[in-house]
Amino acid sequence: MEFQLPEINLQLMAPEIFLFLWALAVMAFDVTTKRKSSSTAGNLALVGLAVTGVIMVFTDQGRGFGNMFFNDSMAVFFKVIFLAAAFMAIGSSFGLTHTRILNHRGEYFGLILLSTVGMMFLASSSELISLYIGLELTTIPLFVLAAFFKDDRKSVEAGIKYLVVGAFSSALLLYGLSFIYGLTGTTDIAQIRSILAHSAVAGFNPAYQESTPIMVMAVLAILGGIGFKLALPPFHQWVPDVYEGAPTPITAFLSVGSKAAGLVAFAKIMIMGLYDLYDPSKAPNDWGILVGVMAAAAMIVGNVLAIRQTNIKRMLAYSSIAHAGYVMVGMLALNSLGLASVGYYMFAYLFTNMGAFAIVALIEDRTGSCEIASYAGLSKTSPFLAISMTIFLLSLTGIPPLAGFFGKFYVFAAAIKMAETGSGLTWIYWLVGVGLVTSVFALYYYANVMRTMYFVETDSPLKVTMSPMAVAVIVIGVVGVVVFGLNPQPIVQFASDMPAALGALLP
Amino acid sequence: MNLDTVIFIVSAVVAVFGATMMIAQRNPVASVLYLILSLVAQAVCYVQLSALFLGAILVVVYAGAIMVLFLFVIMLLNLRGSEDLGQPPKALSRFTKYTIGILMTLELVFIIKGAPLKAMATGLIGKAPDGFGSVEQVARLMFTDYLYPFELTGVLLLIAVVGAVVVAKSRKPGDPEETQTEETAGTNTNEAGS
Repeated sequence: MEFQLPEINLQLMAPEIFLFLWALAVMAFDVTTKRKSSSTAGNLALVGLAVTGVIMVFTDQGRGFGNMFFNDSMAVFFKVIFLAAAFMAIGSSFGLTHTRILNHRGEYFGLILLSTVGMMFLASSSELISLYIGLELTTIPLFVLAAFFKDDRKSVEAGIKYLVVGAFSSALLLYGLSFIYGLTGTTDIAQIRSILAHSAVAGFNPAYQESTPIMVMAVLAILGGIGFKLALPPFHQWVPDVYEGAPTPITAFLSVGSKAAGLVAFAKIMIMGLYDLYDPSKAPNDWGILVGVMAAAAMIVGNVLAIRQTNIKRMLAYSSIAHAGYVMVGMLALNSLGLASVGYYMFAYLFTNMGAFAIVALIEDRTGSCEIASYAGLSKTSPFLAISMTIFLLSLTGIPPLAGFFGKFYVFAAAIKMAETGSGLTWIYWLVGVGLVTSVFALYYYANVMRTMYFVETDSPLKVTMSPMAVAVIVIGVVGVVVFGLNPQPIVQFASDMPAALGALLP
Repeated sequence: MNLDTVIFIVSAVVAVFGATMMIAQRNPVASVLYLILSLVAQAVCYVQLSALFLGAILVVVYAGAIMVLFLFVIMLLNLRGSEDLGQPPKALSRFTKYTIGILMTLELVFIIKGAPLKAMATGLIGKAPDGFGSVEQVARLMFTDYLYPFELTGVLLLIAVVGAVVVAKSRKPGDPEETQTEETAGTNTNEAGS
């Protein structure tokens, strides 16, 4: 029996392979050594991430395993975000004196690395099956990490909730993908697109610009599946509980890394594969308006419910729902600026959110409290934390000249540019309007935290002892937010290759 | 109506019935048995689609090995029917649940009825090519065209093993074991009740 292997090009996935082996090494190291020094496994994990970054610089772009692995500029951009998010999450776990982490250091850091590997595979996949497996590789370690504090009811609850929701959303996504496969006869995303564009078969008829009911069902199922991962309403209810219960560095990693992974999956399936169902130049923009409604709902629900929260982790959870809405506005703008604005937004969000959660983690570890009220008087006892937190919150609100402002600016600019091109696209103006109005709500609840830190008098202000690694992460966050806010050009330049990369996958 | 159609209708109805009963049961052991029933019926559908090997694998691996493991786990945990699954759900939540479920089902029926199945991509409907679904064909696809996802699945299994060990590992000797089991049971109750 003769058979032909596809061209494998293993060297293209050198970063992923290295990080995978390194994650195993971190876990093996922790098992084989006596648990004396507290930080060796974490240090090893940080070194591994840094080396992976260096390897990525020397890795070419191209295809491997036939057409299944595709290291394009979009993949590289998102891989940088994943690596940076993992780096900052591990850094902010470092200072934690939690014995519950310390007892399983190897597995804790190893699973963060393995989840990162999954995200990197996801970003490189150009085919539905490997994309789905990449998504599972991302989320399965996160189930375990969310439930890592086994003697904490809330953490276990977070783990189980995330597991159930994750499994459900995966099943929904898979259901939708199987319809797409049934209609087009291929799992290759570029081929799916060309079949939908060029022939009047399957679930879509270009001549009439309408989708058949089966295609509608497929799109609904896929949007549901990805909507869960991105926490877009009405699939957002799990977010506050999981974010509150999970260990804080893991919450941070969930809110940035996992969200970016969901965005990659969305870009690959919906924009790359099902583009012709949402052609901006033609009238019934099938899934566009649906995603638009979900994004508007995310901005409204996230920002309005965040106002009532007294727990800072829950507040940031709702704010992350709102931010998912803002990102999706940029995602809907299918012009040269659209995807680039999404990339910039995620970069800004990475520094801002990871930094903010690093502070929350530090304070939670030292005082055991996540209540916003307990932040009273922080400006007197540790001005460094108060000032950094203020910078992060201002960036989340979108105050110039911080990175968060330019993120929102680019996203809205891309959407308006898009709305100007088509006649049936006036709803995008409404979407931008909703975004601008809800940003004002956001100012209210972020400012409330600042007010508590600076102006509320208290008899027993927080006393926080620093840990060097946590300080380093916070400093990285502040520097990122300020520098990339004052000078957004390098990131925008870096991100501007992405739309072309989506096109490059076409046959 | 030829024999093929009769076999398909019977196995499809049994598969859906089994799946429905599985989620309707409050006794976990009965749930697992219904799932096995549903899987066997699905295997019949696979065989009818010429995917003989996949059908066999479904019976041997899923209905056989994995479900037996499920049964063992349930028996080891000693879950006995409704008393361990908490209170039955409230009337309002039951009403919403069933309404949404029925609406979704009706929607699905209408969508599938309206779908122009003949308009699907050519070559997708029709007689399967020679040797389709044989061990050789499956292996060839798995180790050539789909080698990459196949290897990724290996990574996935490794991660699942590590994760399972982390979650299941009992704590250091000296720690009270009872709190842990209490908590696990408590969470199960919450989950079923919500």
